[in-house]
Amino acid sequence: MIAKVDYQNVNDRKPDGLKTDGTPYRVLVVDDSMFVVKQIGQILTSEGFEIVGTAVDGSEALEKYKELHPNVDLVTMDITMPKVDGVTALEQILAFDKEARIIMISALGKQDLVKKALMIGAKNYIVKPLDRKKVLERVVQCLK
Amino acid sequence: MSAVDTEVQKEGSHRPDEGREKIDFKMITFSLGGREYGIDIMKVKEISKIDRFTYVPNGSPFLRGVYNLRGEIIPIIDFRIMFHLPLKPIEAGKAENVLILNTEDQVMGVIVDSIDKVIGVSSQRVKPAHPLFHDINVQYLKGIIEYGSSLYIVLDVDRILGIAEERQAERPAAAAEAPAVAAGLEAPAFAPSGEEESADTLELGFIRDTLSAFRGFVVSDLNLDWVKARLGEWRDLRSSEGRGVQLAEPNEADDFLEPFYSPYTGELWGEAYAREIEELLPDVSGGTLSAWNPGCGKGYESYSFAALLDRHYHGKRIKVWANDNDLLGISMAPTLAFHEEAIPPLLAPFVVKTRNGFGFKQELKDSILFEYHDILHPNPFPEVDLVLARDILSFFNPVQQQALVQLFRSKLRVGGILFIGSNERLVDSGWREVRKGGVCGFERLADEEPSNKEQVT
Amino acid sequence: MRVEYINPFVEATFSILKEVLNTKVERGELYLKPTSHPVLGVAAIVGLAGDVEGRVLFDMARETAISIASIMNGEELTEFDELGKATIAELANMITAQAVTKLHDLGFRFDLTPPALITGINMEVSSPNVEALIVPVTLPQGKLEINVAIRERA
Repeated sequence: MIAKVDYQNVNDRKPDGLKTDGTPYRVLVVDDSMFVVKQIGQILTSEGFEIVGTAVDGSEALEKYKELHPNVDLVTMDITMPKVDGVTALEQILAFDKEARIIMISALGKQDLVKKALMIGAKNYIVKPLDRKKVLERVVQCLK
Repeated sequence: MSAVDTEVQKEGSHRPDEGREKIDFKMITFSLGGREYGIDIMKVKEISKIDRFTYVPNGSPFLRGVYNLRGEIIPIIDFRIMFHLPLKPIEAGKAENVLILNTEDQVMGVIVDSIDKVIGVSSQRVKPAHPLFHDINVQYLKGIIEYGSSLYIVLDVDRILGIAEERQAERPAAAAEAPAVAAGLEAPAFAPSGEEESADTLELGFIRDTLSAFRGFVVSDLNLDWVKARLGEWRDLRSSEGRGVQLAEPNEADDFLEPFYSPYTGELWGEAYAREIEELLPDVSGGTLSAWNPGCGKGYESYSFAALLDRHYHGKRIKVWANDNDLLGISMAPTLAFHEEAIPPLLAPFVVKTRNGFGFKQELKDSILFEYHDILHPNPFPEVDLVLARDILSFFNPVQQQALVQLFRSKLRVGGILFIGSNERLVDSGWREVRKGGVCGFERLADEEPSNKEQVT
Repeated sequence: MRVEYINPFVEATFSILKEVLNTKVERGELYLKPTSHPVLGVAAIVGLAGDVEGRVLFDMARETAISIASIMNGEELTEFDELGKATIAELANMITAQAVTKLHDLGFRFDLTPPALITGINMEVSSPNVEALIVPVTLPQGKLEINVAIRERA
């Protein structure tokens, strides 16, 4: 669904989405909104990231993570989703893989839920509307 | 037009050899001052019942105001006033019968006593009107016609409305013109039934209209006593200034209404007034005392009331729901600030110094929930012990007033007290007036069986 | 509606619309409606819970929805398809969430549910016994009404 984009090396800067060995970071995008999935996909693939899977709710997120593991470097997780929400999914994925790198994407800012997610073990959070620069900064920081 | 019957005069049934006369003129008939009139149906766009006009100052007396007819603003003319015909007192909120007329370049509404039916006749049968025999100047008449057992006077709409426009254009801008015109209309020729009160009733009618148009104040049983008394005072005051009674603009309506408002409107309550309200507070069992304060404005009365309740019902938890549909006013209420000089004893225990002067302690603020709310809309509040609704019923039409009093009744527990404006009076079974000193409250009585029905005003 | 809740919704509407559409946003006068009302064509609804219960509804004509979704996606959408719907639902989510965040800072605890999107002609959406605050907004893309109907949890 998300096309892999061939990036152009217009300068010496290495695209954010590539590891040192040249292979792309693999991302699982979890969000119930087709629009957000598309947006995140566009931002990340333009920097060389590879979207290896998507999920529309927390239970699908856990399933996909288990399936793809260990070939997932990062999960972007929406907080508000039907069925199983992002904070619960975060907990469950970390229980499965304590090294999992998960960054919360939310329209809610300094809310209890966001704080809770960070306490449970999310690496960081990004507030919507998504700003390309901010997204890439936080994602890169998350992957260090 | 479906509400009006259509009849076609059956012609020539007794003169078979002459053949039928052609029905080439249809008119809508109506009554005006006890007589029957007709207007060419081609000139009539529609008929309507309208209960609310917007008054236009400096309009001719027969121009009752303007009305928004689906986006088009049209003038509303009262034929009865225009032709000096007997006129029933104008009641606020009562719907008038209106013919919406379409002339070449204008749409206008015309008020009549009642609208009857559409009849079809042959134009040949319309006879010229004799100059001496009619209430209305012959220049406005197309003629008269006999139909069935009635005589109908056919009006020339184009002429009438043309003249109306001329007369309106001639009006000088000065408001001083109004009293002269009002005086002219008060002349005895206006009251064929010989009622002494007609001039008074007409004045009261004008005051009613202007208070309603300028300030949304509705004169009804709730406040009629006060309005009449005030009218007397006002008349004296104005005549001593050499002016007439008519309210020509919003400021004058404000002046007229100034003594109406309850004590400490827009201000924190003084001690004497607070004590009088306190005397009427009922006993309440249970740990919470709840009150509803619709029309709280900027919140002065809400804070005063909450402070009083806290003092009187010490130890109980106080909850006041305060609301208003004036967003600008109420949005300032949660953070109401004031200066030292303005703090009365009632509120002194609840005041703290803030950056902007003085404000209320959090505990008092927490006891009041300010909501932007229209009380004619669905009401989310639970049952309360008290309702403080000062001077708000007078700003609703009688039908709404009824509904609101009923709403207050449904929200108040039995034995709860309703406070309304100092110059308002509740005329309704189901309530018992309680009075100590200058303030009166209304105790909500228990529901009885069907006999306890609302009266229709 | 509680006075303190009003500004957060108005400010969030303005702020998100400006940021996301990068266009002139004009606000009309706020007013109250008894809640049942027909849908203009497209409505995105976000549920609210916590200190209050109720919902926020974003009401607009189909053409307006398509215009807005096109801008947000950076591509011209010709019909109101799945992507368009997801986009408008997300817009509703962002505005409501920002309002809820501001309310959180003021000490009010609100939760929100994932947005739902409904389309139709002359549909009535009503919450029993709750009046609605209307924030009318005019955009170059058309008119939008934010309709907030919430009731205090006693």
